[in-house]
Amino acid sequence: MSTASIGRKTRSLSVLGAYRPGVTVAAVGLMAAFTAGCEEQTPVALSDDAIPGSPITVTVEIPWSEFASNLEVFGGYGSAEDIGQGVLAEDFAGSLDARTLMRIGAYPRIATVQDTTGASRPDSTLTILGGRFVAFFDPVESTNTTPVTLALGATTEEWDQTTATWDFAIDTINDQRSWAEAGGGAVTPFAEATWDPATGDTAVFILDSAQIASWTDTTDLSVGARIAVLDTGERLALNRALIRLDARPSSNPDTIIELTATTRGSTFIYSPFPQPPPDGVRIGGAPSWRTILDLNLPEVIDGIPEFCAIVSCPHTLSPGEISYAALVLTSRLTEAAFQPTDSIRLDVRTVLNRAAMPKSPLGVSLIVTPFGRTVPPEAFGSAPGLEIEIPFTGYARDRLRGTDASGNPTPETLALLSVIEPFSIAFASFEGPLSPAEPYLRLVLTIGPPVELP
Amino acid sequence: MISRATTAAKSTTMSALILLVSAAPVWGQSLFNAAGLGTPVEALDGRARALGSMGIGLGGPSILPTDPGGLARLGISTGVMAASPSWVEYSASGDRSGSFQGNRFPLVGIGYPFFGGMASVQIGSFLDQSYGVTRVGQADLGNEPVQTSDEFSQDGSVSNVNLGFARAINERFAAGLTIGRYAGSLDRTLVRTYGEEDEEGNVDQYIESGVWSWGGWSLTAGGSANFDGLEVAGSIQIPSTLSANASAETRGSDRSFSLPIQYRLGATANLGPSVLLHSSVVLADWSDAEDELSDAYANSGSGFGVGLELSRARLLGKDAPLRFGFRRVGLPFAFEDESVTERTLSGGFGLVLNETAGIVLARMDMSIERGRRSSANLTENFWRATLSLLTSGF
Repeated sequence: MSTASIGRKTRSLSVLGAYRPGVTVAAVGLMAAFTAGCEEQTPVALSDDAIPGSPITVTVEIPWSEFASNLEVFGGYGSAEDIGQGVLAEDFAGSLDARTLMRIGAYPRIATVQDTTGASRPDSTLTILGGRFVAFFDPVESTNTTPVTLALGATTEEWDQTTATWDFAIDTINDQRSWAEAGGGAVTPFAEATWDPATGDTAVFILDSAQIASWTDTTDLSVGARIAVLDTGERLALNRALIRLDARPSSNPDTIIELTATTRGSTFIYSPFPQPPPDGVRIGGAPSWRTILDLNLPEVIDGIPEFCAIVSCPHTLSPGEISYAALVLTSRLTEAAFQPTDSIRLDVRTVLNRAAMPKSPLGVSLIVTPFGRTVPPEAFGSAPGLEIEIPFTGYARDRLRGTDASGNPTPETLALLSVIEPFSIAFASFEGPLSPAEPYLRLVLTIGPPVELP
Repeated sequence: MISRATTAAKSTTMSALILLVSAAPVWGQSLFNAAGLGTPVEALDGRARALGSMGIGLGGPSILPTDPGGLARLGISTGVMAASPSWVEYSASGDRSGSFQGNRFPLVGIGYPFFGGMASVQIGSFLDQSYGVTRVGQADLGNEPVQTSDEFSQDGSVSNVNLGFARAINERFAAGLTIGRYAGSLDRTLVRTYGEEDEEGNVDQYIESGVWSWGGWSLTAGGSANFDGLEVAGSIQIPSTLSANASAETRGSDRSFSLPIQYRLGATANLGPSVLLHSSVVLADWSDAEDELSDAYANSGSGFGVGLELSRARLLGKDAPLRFGFRRVGLPFAFEDESVTERTLSGGFGLVLNETAGIVLARMDMSIERGRRSSANLTENFWRATLSLLTSGF
């Protein structure tokens, strides 16, 4: 075989012209530029006539009896301890008494001080001379605008921070102990102080060394502080408290140093405890209230002329035709003692097993916004009758479909509750099914003809 | 070295093919896509476009689905693929104007010797149907009127998958037959949103959509005759109805549409040693489809084209025939009761990349068209480029 014949065969097999590679590359590059260089844009028709059909959007309000049933109010969720804030009241709104109990933390046993030579060194031999119990209040949540007198005392009976109530010091399984005297038992009076919200947020109780010494045993369940308000007609919110200790170090006896001890936790006890409303919706409080209801969306829509003009009536709703669904509640006056002084944040969740109430687990929040539906405090006090919409469109679609996105059956029971439980001693009240302003369901429905070919 | 060069060439060809097929879907090329069943997209290569052809009687071997007789003249295994981007400017009544662009791949085909003739598989475009439109309105949601925005999008096309066989009867005559299957799908979706565009509301979208798959058959028979200096070809395409079958989730109904019988005739005459004159005509009456359309008008899709090829031109040391053409064809669907025509002036060239013993092994054809589609209320001026690559002997 000659070299020339090999060369001829090479050319005949080289489809794209091996003897002119530049031309080949240019050709392929041109094709690539053709395909990649032209961005795709969909032409936009000039006339609305190119849209097949026009959906109709209508707002429908469905009365309680046609979509909901079995409303029940349950209480007792969480503990006042969970709030981390105390409440003080004396005959507030003609009825409410509340006191705050606090556990005292361990005192500092060592401090770095300057000795008589001026050198700093640890000193573990401290002599407590006295101190101050400093309470910090929330002026916004507190109702008083003028000075009030407060009383600080030491508890004398064993009490349980989680279960203590106005009547019981301990209320756990197999151990229920009443206070010797309702409202925190017989306390040893320590001091009184005045808090004037106009001058600050603190009240200071002066303590002597003996009083401070009585709080040193942190393992004794009877040790604690009880704070009460002596003036009537106000409700105070206590954020926190601490103890400033005056101590004399052994390394420099001529000097007084100040140390700080904190409280280990708090709870509040109050009376009277509210009874469940017979005819309304209650949400919030401490422990918290939840309202449970069964929801059955109407599957068939009839009698709406706009819809019947484009679809046959009665029309069976499909989930995609629900553009918006919300439970509309009308606020009403909350008992004065428990009226909110700050906004209430409402949540709605599915109840996974109603038969297990009040202990049924709940599903995730149905409200898209992270902090729930915010309601101003006036809605339950000075301006009742405010309509509050709690949207749950995604749930309504799942409820109509019967399953959620994962294929699980959609629970038919909903729980209305506070986003954070418990959040405050105050709770929200809404009109119930027997009221003229009963809850109703607001649906925004969009129904259109099927998309057909031209 | 021989095998490496061959492999490299094939790899390059395959890469270009994959790039062509995967780069983008077949999408919109005209606002007339919104009328009736859409805008026809002919399965033509760069040479046919440059010569203003209707896809028949181009002279020499052809792998166009509209010219079954020309397939017999291929002689050896041949593949073709074409890309066709276009840039469109429109003006409409009411001082509305704008522009858009798109790319499509009207033809991929392959022919292979078989039983003394030539068998072929071709995938060609048929109807382009994609468009979108938005309507703004208001809805009363109880408290106050809220803006609604209905966005409708139609995405899809009808394509044609063909299996053909052609054979030379003698030195002058050849005949071929192609069986085609209509394929593709159409997705029509209407989405209503509530509130201003940038406003995050809590009213969910309303979505109504339907998906249809296209089906149907076509039979194309054709022949060509080669006389001294003159080649004549003709074909007839007999389609079934075009059926649209709704998917299980679609509320819309199944439909079927009448398609016209299409007659094509073309001829290429050798006017001199290096000058070819081509002319072709297509006859297709789409008016039967009008009764089946809810809101569109159907007209004649007939047209003609003429072109001139100067075959002795050279570029980069290779044969590069120059081509010029003109064509005029009617669009079958219109918004009003009127005829809409597409007229184009075209130019282009071919570039023989490799030729051995008179057989073209690789050729690139390119055309540029300047055209206009016009109706009473809408005019589109467009540039359309078509680039095709033909390879043989694999």
